[in-house]
Amino acid sequence: MLPNISLGPLVIPSNGLVFIIGVWIALTVVERSARKLELNSETTYSLAAVSLAAGFIGARLVFVLLHWNAYKVNLSGIIWPLTSGYDLWGGLVIAIAAGFFYGRAKQVPTASTLDALAPGIVTALLVVSLSDFLAGPGYGIETSLLWAIDIYGIDRHPVQIYEMIVAAVALVVWRISLPYRTFDGQLFLITLAVYGGGRLIVDAFRANTWLTNSGIHVIQVLSLAIVLASLFLLARNSTAAVDESQFIADKVDL
Amino acid sequence: MHKSRFGWAILIVVVGLLGITWIAYSRVPPSGPGDIGELTEAPLPGYRAPEFSLTTTIGEVVSLSDYAGRPVVLNFWATWCPPCRAEIPHFQESSVKYNGRAVILGVDQGEPLPIVSDFGSALGVTYPLLLDSDNAVNREYSVSALPTTIFVDGDGIVREVYSGIVNRAVLEDRIEKLLAEG
Repeated sequence: MLPNISLGPLVIPSNGLVFIIGVWIALTVVERSARKLELNSETTYSLAAVSLAAGFIGARLVFVLLHWNAYKVNLSGIIWPLTSGYDLWGGLVIAIAAGFFYGRAKQVPTASTLDALAPGIVTALLVVSLSDFLAGPGYGIETSLLWAIDIYGIDRHPVQIYEMIVAAVALVVWRISLPYRTFDGQLFLITLAVYGGGRLIVDAFRANTWLTNSGIHVIQVLSLAIVLASLFLLARNSTAAVDESQFIADKVDL
Repeated sequence: MHKSRFGWAILIVVVGLLGITWIAYSRVPPSGPGDIGELTEAPLPGYRAPEFSLTTTIGEVVSLSDYAGRPVVLNFWATWCPPCRAEIPHFQESSVKYNGRAVILGVDQGEPLPIVSDFGSALGVTYPLLLDSDNAVNREYSVSALPTTIFVDGDGIVREVYSGIVNRAVLEDRIEKLLAEG
C-alpha cells in the first residue's frame, strides 16, 4: 500500500494523483478509440470531457443541495475543499445527461460513440481499482492462497488487482472484437458484458463491500443485471443484423 | 459472431443461472462472524481502531475505549498546518451540535502543551485536544499527511479515513450515518 507519495516536504495522497493521471489516460484512450472507429475524435473527446466535468461539478452540487443546512452558513465550503463532498449517484446521472445532450447538440451517432467510450470508461474503472489498491480501501477477504497480500498482519485476496485484471481483459476483448464489429454499439455491449461478468465473479472476494440486509453483495447483483441486459441487447441486435444480411442475400438471389 | 436466437436464449439463461448461484454462494451470512479485520487493530476501514491513551490540554487522560458505544471522529492536526486550521471551526460546530452523542477528538501531532493550548483557546475549541508528544498515536494510525480524519463507529471499528480537509457537510453526513446505524 502507498496511501501517500512524498516528494521532499510535499506529501500527495496517491489516490488523488492516480485519479488525475487516470482521467487524462481515459480521455486519451477515448480519443484513440474514436479514431479507430473512424469517428470524429475531437468531438468524441469533447463529449467525454464534458461528461466528466459535468459529473464532477454535478456530484458536488447534488451533495451541496442534500446538505444545504451545513453549506448555507459556510458558502465558501461549496468551492473548497475539493477533496471531499461529492454525491456519486448524482454525479453519475448528471454526467450521463450532459453526455447525452452534448451528443444530441453535436449530432454524434450514439451507438458508435458508446463503442468509442467503452475503453475509456473501463480504463477509468481500472484507475479507481489502482487507487483503491494504493490507498488501502476496498481490500479482499482473508485467504491463505499463495498470492495473498498482507494488510496489517492479515493475508487477504488482492481484490483490487483482480478488478484491474478484469478491466484489462475487457480492454483486450474490446480490441479483439474491433474487426468483427457488425453493428454500432456492439463493442460497448461486449465490453460491458465482460467487465460486468468479471466484477460479478471478483466482488465475492471483497471484504468491505455494499451488502443487503441478507448479506448479498449489491455490486454482484448490479453486475449480473448489466451482463444479462448486455447479452439481451447483443442477441437482439445480432439476430437483427443476421436477418438483415439474409434479407439482402435473398434479394440478390432474386 | 453470429448465433441463432435459440443459442442466445440458452446463453442468457445459463449466465443468469450461474450468476444467481455464484451470488448465493458468496453471500455473507448475516449472523456469521464479522470479517477477521474487526478483531485486528489497524487504521483501515473494517478494522478495529487502535486503542490509545493520551493527555488532553487540560490534563485529563482519555482513551478511545472511554467512548465505546458512540461514534468517534479522530482529527489528526497541528497548529502549523493551515488546512487543519481551516477545518477546526467545522469540528467545533459539530461538536456542539452533537453534544456528546458523537465524540470529536483532536489529536495534535507532536507539539508542546502551551502551543496547542493557546491555539485551542484562540479558536474557541471546546472538544478535547489530545497531546501526542512522541507521535506514537500518529504512527499507530499511519498519519503521514495532515489533516487526517478517521471515523470510528460505536463498535470501535474504523469506518472511513480521510486525508485532507473535511468540511462541515461531509463531517455531519458521516456522523449522522454512524448515529443512524446506532
